[in-house]
Amino acid sequence: MDRECGSDAGLPGRHLNHRSNVSVLARSVGNAFRNKVRTAAVVAVLAVAIGLALAMLVANQAVGAKVQELNASVGTVLTVNPAGGQGFEGGGEPLSTEQAATAASVPNVSAVVGTSSLRLRNATEAAAQAASGTPAGAGGQGGPGGQAAATLTTSLTAAVDAGTLGNRNQASGTTGSTGTTATQPARSLPITATGIGAEVDTTGKALTITEGTGLGDYTAESTNALLGTTLAEKNNLSVGSSFTINDQAYTVAGLFDAGTAFGNNAVYVTLPTAQTLAGLPDELSSMIVTVNSLENVDSTKTALQDALGADKADVTQGQNLETAVSSLGSVKNISFTAFIAALGTAGLIILLIMVMLVRERRREIGVLKAIGAPNRTIGLQFVLEALVLAALGSAVGAVIAAFASSGIASALISTNSTSTTAAGTAGRGMPGAMPGGGAGFPGGQGGPFGGASQLLTSVTASASPGIIAAGIAAVFGVAIIGALVPALLTARIRPIEVLRGE
Amino acid sequence: MIEVKNLVRTFNSGDRTIKPVNDVSFVLGQGTLASIVGKSGSGKSTLLSLLGALDKPTSGDVVVNGVSLAGMPDAKLTQYRRRDIGFVFQQFNLIPNLSAVDNVMLPMEFAGIRKAARKQRAKDLLEQVQLAADKHDRRINRLSGGEQQRVAIARALANEPKLILADEPTGNLDEQTGDHIISLLSALSQDHNTTILVVTHDRALANKTDRRFRLQQGKLTEEQVHRAAVPATA
Repeated sequence: MDRECGSDAGLPGRHLNHRSNVSVLARSVGNAFRNKVRTAAVVAVLAVAIGLALAMLVANQAVGAKVQELNASVGTVLTVNPAGGQGFEGGGEPLSTEQAATAASVPNVSAVVGTSSLRLRNATEAAAQAASGTPAGAGGQGGPGGQAAATLTTSLTAAVDAGTLGNRNQASGTTGSTGTTATQPARSLPITATGIGAEVDTTGKALTITEGTGLGDYTAESTNALLGTTLAEKNNLSVGSSFTINDQAYTVAGLFDAGTAFGNNAVYVTLPTAQTLAGLPDELSSMIVTVNSLENVDSTKTALQDALGADKADVTQGQNLETAVSSLGSVKNISFTAFIAALGTAGLIILLIMVMLVRERRREIGVLKAIGAPNRTIGLQFVLEALVLAALGSAVGAVIAAFASSGIASALISTNSTSTTAAGTAGRGMPGAMPGGGAGFPGGQGGPFGGASQLLTSVTASASPGIIAAGIAAVFGVAIIGALVPALLTARIRPIEVLRGE
Repeated sequence: MIEVKNLVRTFNSGDRTIKPVNDVSFVLGQGTLASIVGKSGSGKSTLLSLLGALDKPTSGDVVVNGVSLAGMPDAKLTQYRRRDIGFVFQQFNLIPNLSAVDNVMLPMEFAGIRKAARKQRAKDLLEQVQLAADKHDRRINRLSGGEQQRVAIARALANEPKLILADEPTGNLDEQTGDHIISLLSALSQDHNTTILVVTHDRALANKTDRRFRLQQGKLTEEQVHRAAVPATA
């Protein structure tokens, strides 16, 4: 270890100073450009690695923020369905308003919102089918936990075409995709109507009202309703227009966007309105229970299940949303791993380049030592040269990241959400039973995934200066580590190297 | 004063042991201009590297102004090379991507001399070795062999060393410039009391030194010098 201070105090005409580092820096910059073609190639390779690292960091930060947002907003929601139901099959007893009160009394529960599900069929088509002897309600069953939701007539026409699946499902009247494939007359799909006790959808997520207003007091009967945007468009309705349910006129108070075709083929009314329409004033299709914090979700879920009874109600923790958040979490992990890998690659490139340069300049290092250069000065020169290369690579890499980060984040997220969608659909099973649109009935287990999917794709990755600066700081850290090994190698070179070949 | 005591350097080559420096002893007083002559491969450069602390002897010692180099730690040896030694290498060994001035400034930078002072001194030294002013800022790889040799000599003088070790310092110079360099080295030894040891094939140069040694098969012997007149410095 060279412990010299780098200046020779006491020598006549010598002046102590600490400015020689400036000369070392100038030499390092000059050395970095000795071979311009090679420097350009090294910078290009470094820029790709650094650009990738920065893009991954940006994606990681964006997804991390999204996960936090999801957890803070909807991660605390529990769903209660009648026990004994699975998808559109099963039995059991419906939930009641009394059970809602019990749920509300469970510690850490901050809100309980009941829902009541209805199926609406176009009145004209129902009348025609009745005249031809075909049961109007044949086919797909809805309702939570295997309950058959009340089917009512409406002036509305569904915004989703029945298509092959819809016709097959309704004609078969079965609950599986094994239903008949015989040719049946074309039918329109039912429309989902849900009575809600607050301005949230069936997953507990706040409704996105795009036009008009909400329904005001959701605990009182009202002739106002919220329509999905595509349903309103299909029926040429706008805010203030009217439509009927069981011959009762309702006014469109607002339009909402659920983000999916099935979700937008829906109507929301207040909970008492739906209960009255169904003729079941004390029954609930499901309950949306909000817990006061993410930490209390698990314990509250257990307490709620105990309070309601396992034979009466099933308490679930927004499975699909959990899958979505988990999917985002895996994107976060992948992007972080890729960031570390790209950063390591950049460090490795610097290490190898500097090792090559040290080997190439053995004789020159020997000369510097022969004329009195301390090991520290020579090592510093090589570290600074590596930092010059890293700075150039970072500058180009930041530009690459600025353009590529959004695309890379989208690619990562879409890849993961695709696999999640596949897994989610397979997990719920019975796609044939779903009444059109490929999703389940609100209040069952199909609805939430559409919202989660939308949440996934709404992640935006923007290369903020702060993140880029943090990434470049990490690159410089790695560059210093990568350059230290070659710099230490210079200490092993003997000044006698200078005479080799003479 | 430099005192060399029973200096030995051996190398192993397969089963053989080579001794390019074999029990060499001599004393040079301060301000002496001496030369070592000998055939190629006789060990001249090895001896020079031992005196300049570029290499460590197998046995023996070099004592410079009463300080022994044997057992001196690397950091101290670096300081010794920086403060007390000026090297002129046969292949110049200049830094190719630096200018002539920057090359001469390097040893002064390592010694901690301020930039302005070292730049001025570098230019003065380059003038002393007769390198045209318009070539001071030229990169080394754009100078001729003779010009590079002059830059190498200027660099060796940069820190006013007590001992200058020169390997064929006039080998690449024309006769006139060679004479000037000899005059410069002679003046340094006389006026600045600098000890100069020159390895050379140039008999004329060897005849202009105060003492002449011959190295043959690792053994050093001193020869009688019939000193020729040293040309006056310009």
